[in-house]
Order: sequence, then structure tokens, then C-alpha cells
Amino acid sequence: MTERTALRPAIGPGAWTRLLRFFANYGFLPVILVALCLGFGAVEPVFLTVQNALNIAEQASYLIVLAAAQMFVLLTRGFDLSMGVIVSAISVISAMVMVAIAPEGQGPVLLALSAGILTALAFGVIAGVVNGTLVAFFDINPFVVTLGMQGIAFGIATTVSGGFPVFGIPAELTTFLGQDGAWFGFLSPPVAVCLLILGVSYIILNHTVLGRSLYLVGSNTRAAEVGGLPWRRHIMMSYVLCSLITAVGAILMTARTGTGEPSTGGGLVLLSIAAAVAGGVSLRGGEGRIIHVVMGGLLVSVLSIGMNLTRIDGFLQQVVLGIIVIAAVFLDRLRLRIRS
Amino acid sequence: MTDPGNAIPEIQGAAGGIRQSLQRILAIGLLPLLIVTLCVVLGFLEPKFLRIGNLINVLRNASFLMLIACGQMLVLIIGGFDLAVGAVVALASVTTALSMGVLLGVFPESPLLVTLLGAGAGLAAGAAVGLLNGLVVARMKVNPFMVTLGTLSIASGLALYLTQGVPIYGMPDLFTHDFERLRVFNVPVIIYFTAILLAVLWWVMNQTRYGRYVYAIGSNEHAARVSGVRVAFMVVVTYTLCSLLAALTGVLLTARVGSGEATLGSTLMMESIAAAVIGGVSLRGGVGRVEMVALGALFLALISNALNLLRVDSKLQTIVVGVIIILAVGIERFQTRKGKR
Repeated sequence: MTERTALRPAIGPGAWTRLLRFFANYGFLPVILVALCLGFGAVEPVFLTVQNALNIAEQASYLIVLAAAQMFVLLTRGFDLSMGVIVSAISVISAMVMVAIAPEGQGPVLLALSAGILTALAFGVIAGVVNGTLVAFFDINPFVVTLGMQGIAFGIATTVSGGFPVFGIPAELTTFLGQDGAWFGFLSPPVAVCLLILGVSYIILNHTVLGRSLYLVGSNTRAAEVGGLPWRRHIMMSYVLCSLITAVGAILMTARTGTGEPSTGGGLVLLSIAAAVAGGVSLRGGEGRIIHVVMGGLLVSVLSIGMNLTRIDGFLQQVVLGIIVIAAVFLDRLRLRIRS
Repeated sequence: MTDPGNAIPEIQGAAGGIRQSLQRILAIGLLPLLIVTLCVVLGFLEPKFLRIGNLINVLRNASFLMLIACGQMLVLIIGGFDLAVGAVVALASVTTALSMGVLLGVFPESPLLVTLLGAGAGLAAGAAVGLLNGLVVARMKVNPFMVTLGTLSIASGLALYLTQGVPIYGMPDLFTHDFERLRVFNVPVIIYFTAILLAVLWWVMNQTRYGRYVYAIGSNEHAARVSGVRVAFMVVVTYTLCSLLAALTGVLLTARVGSGEATLGSTLMMESIAAAVIGGVSLRGGVGRVEMVALGALFLALISNALNLLRVDSKLQTIVVGVIIILAVGIERFQTRKGKR
């Protein structure tokens, strides 16, 4: 290993090694993304317009928020299967709170909105604490914990409103946080919130003890323990952060449709894990950066919008997504092999 | 100094004995005990429960879950996962129904041939998904979680695409009516069918080289490889078997509901893992027994039947199942931790 790295400068980086190094550092994703955009653009020129680029950014921001949430637990070698139904549960519950305080926008709207958002965040924290405690302090496999939580949250989401969407949310939520709103006159709310979340996540991951500890716990739990880190508490915090960010995503999605939806969440687990892992976050823990999540989210969104524009059957899109997920994970393994 | 030093192990020994016997009950007897208790309590709460018709109904519902949970068990034992079993059920159901529809046009005279070929097509579709799972996991060394998440999406996407979300009818009566209603000594044939399959599976796991290899790979893959087990091949076979069992469940369920549906089995992935885990299968691989998994499936079927009889909203049942999964693994975890000390 050391010999080879020492030799490299002497030979000088040829085009091939430079290419390999690029793939090793950034993965195949940037190349795939550009190729996809050009491909879709060739079939459907509308794809390569500014309007569509903005659309992609907006659609991707929902997914990127959820993928960022998923990354916090992926870093610790865990994952959160309950995320999708937690989105549904939060959407329904916070919508019911808002409707109860200000039905159809008649009543104290500001109070209704803040109460709804606070309820959502509180539910997220509770779900995260339960998941995190069971995983970190009871040593139960995260797969089982979050699978169980999925059953519980699904039961809540489908029963509190009788299984029906909740209508009558104050319209201000949609104008403030929905896609048609504009912060400072130009910034689309979901994109703005997404950037905010990414910024905060970046700071937590890179400039706090908790963040650095998550990387260490994920790559070597033993070392974290020997190093005297309160690693169990940190793992729990990763689940709390995951569910908290999920709650933010749930609020955004509720604002997008203007209803509390008991069934939106279903496929989101697959999408969020797919986006994170396709972007380069490792399932073996300890590896993953914000840029990975952004690229993974863009990949999935570009694919789905591109396939919509080229009129590929919605069910077939699911098949393509499955293939892409497997291919992306395989390429990620290849990347690691090149690097070592 | 020496006195208390001597006394402590004695006390610990006594406590250890109690704990040990408690553990033995937990390990062997807890699940049967729970099932019997549940039956007695239910009999008191709701006399309808103890009617023969209802008990047979529970057994029939349990047998679907037993088959698919045993498949899941195989994959869990080698230290993998199969998230795609539910989607395989749907794909097998759709394939069976569609191919039977086509075959009826070709051989209108022989419903038996149509039934057999149609069921075969469903099984083949399932086996194909399992083969894909196994090859990608074993050859490309991709995490089984991601692989089966991918094939879950592929299989259910295909099933939905083939049907466009509409149930498929037009299967021979022999399959949806005669086979489904066939009873021997007043017990549906599917129960015998499941019993025989479980017995075969028990024999395979306990008496054949395949079974031994599977446990060996699960407990220590490296050791198994060094001892000359063809690990990659065994992994492929195991994933294929798991999907085959799921596909079989799909075919049997299709006969039961009388149509091919792309939404069939959506809850079975979670329930199959739940049944396996309740039956004591370890998620870390190497541990799991057919008979315990069957009991786990029976337990879940009993709970769901009880909640129905007690008129609990079917959607709330997922909450109960969720709590039970976490509890089951929590108890197992607790036991192994005590065992280590």
C-alpha cells in the first residue's frame, strides 16, 4: 500500500489514474447524473429548460431532507425503516391539530400553524427517542426496532383520522411553506428549508463532538467506547435527529398538498435510503457526507421527473428504481475497491 | 474476607439455578405456553373462538404465514434478509393468474394441466427473483438489505405493471373453487399440505448436508468457507428457496382469494420477519428452528384472529404486531446478554 502511493508521483498521474482517482473520490454519480440529463434532454428537449431545472430542485429538496435524516442513522450502522409511516402519522396528526384550532382558516391562524408545527416536531422527537433508546440502550437490532415502530406508526396514521385525508388546513401553511410560496420574493420554500437543514446538518456533523463521534461510532464502536465517548447517548441522538428532520420533511409535504395524508409515506423509506446510499453514504456506517445526500437525492429526482416527461409507465418506473438502487450500491462497492 | 468470598458464589449458584430453569422455560416453553394461555383466555372472553370452524380458520391463516416465515428463516439463518418476500407473493399471484388465463385459451379441455402449468409459472417467477437476490448478494457482495429492497421495488413494480392495478380473474374452477374447498376429514387440504412441507423442511434442516451447511455459514462464514463449504452457491440456493416458498404462498393465496392481485401480501414481509423472530431466529444468523418458527406464525395468526373476534380495528392490529416484534427481540437480546455473563 505505502509503496504504491510513494511510487505514484514519480510515474506521474496519467489520464487513466487521474480518472480512477476522480471516481474513487466522487463516485460514478456525477457522470451518471450528467449522462441522464443529456439522455432525457435528447428524448424530450423540455427537460433541459430552466423551468424544469427549478422543478427538479424543488422536487429533490423533499427527498434530500429525508435522505439527510436517514444519513444520521446510517452513519451509526443503523437505519430507520419507520421514516415513511412516521411522515404519514405526523402529517395527519399535525393537520388535525391545525384544523381543530382554526378550521378552514377561521380562527387564530398563527396559533394553529405554530401549534401544528410544534406537534409535528414533538411527535418526531418522541418517535426518535423511542427508536434510539431501544437501539442504543437495549441493544436491539435497529432493523427490528424500526420495523416495529413502522407497524405502530402505521396503525396511528391510519386510525386517528379513520384512514381519510384531513382537509381544511389553513391556506397560510401552503402559501408559507408550499411550492407556490416565495421567500424574499424568489426563494422556493422547500428549497430554502432544505438548504437550512443541510447547513445545520453540516455544522452538526463536522463541527460538534456529537457529529464527529457518530463517524467514529459507525466505523469502530469499540474505539469509541475505549476513547471514553458516551457513544450510546450519541447513537440515541442520531435517531432523535433523524426523526426530527423527518418531522420537518413531513411538515413540508403537508404544506405541499394542503392536506394531512395518511398514505403518503409508504414508499419514502425506500426512496430515502436509496438516495442516501446511491449518493455514497455507506450502509456499513462511518461514511457519508452532505454532498452525497444531495447528489443521491438529485439522481432519484432526475430519474423520476425524466421518466415522467418521457411518459414511462409509473409502475415501470418502480422497476427502474429498483435496478438503479442495486446498481448504485454495486458501483459504490467498486469505488471502495478502486480506492484501496 | 474468605467467608463472604465463599458465600457469594453459593448464592449466585442458587440464583443461577433459578435463572437457568427460568431461561430453559423461556427458551423452550414460553411460546407454546403463551399460545395455550392465549387460547384459554380467548375461550373465556369469546366462546366463538373455540368453535371448530374458527380454529380451522386460524390454522389455515397460519399456514400461509408459516410457509413464508420458514423461507425468511432460511435467509435469516445465513445472516441475510429478504425484504422482497411480500412483493414475490404479489408477483407470483399475478403471474399465476395471467398465465392461467392464457393457458385456458390454449388447453380449454384440461383444467388440471392449466392449473399445474399456471402454478408452475408463478413459482418460476418467484424463483427467478430469488435467484437474482442470491446471485447479487453472493457474487457481487452487495448488502442483502439493499439488494432485496431493490428487488422488492422491481417485483412489485412488475406485478403492478402487468395488471395495471386491476385484479385478474378467469382461472379454472378447479384451482379457485375445487382445490380451495377440498377438505379431508373436514380439514382443508392446505393445512395438510403445509404440515407435509414443514416436515420436509424440518428434515432438510436437521438431517441433510444442506441444513448443516446453512447453520455453519450463519454462525461463522469464514470457518465454513475454510472447511470447504461452497458458500456462494449455498447462499444462492437459500435465497432461491426463500423466494420459492414465498411464491408458493402467493399461489395458494391466489386460490384462496380467487383472483390474481398485485396488492396481495403487502403485510407479509413484516409478518414473516415477525414470526421468525418470535420463533427465536437470531438476526445475527446461525440460529433458528422450523418448528419454533411455525409456532411463531401460529401465535401471530391467533393474535390477529383474537383481535378480529374482539372487534379491534384491523388497522390497529399493526400496532400490536409492531410491539410484539420489538418485545420478542428484546427478550431474546436480554437472554443472550444474561447468557454471556
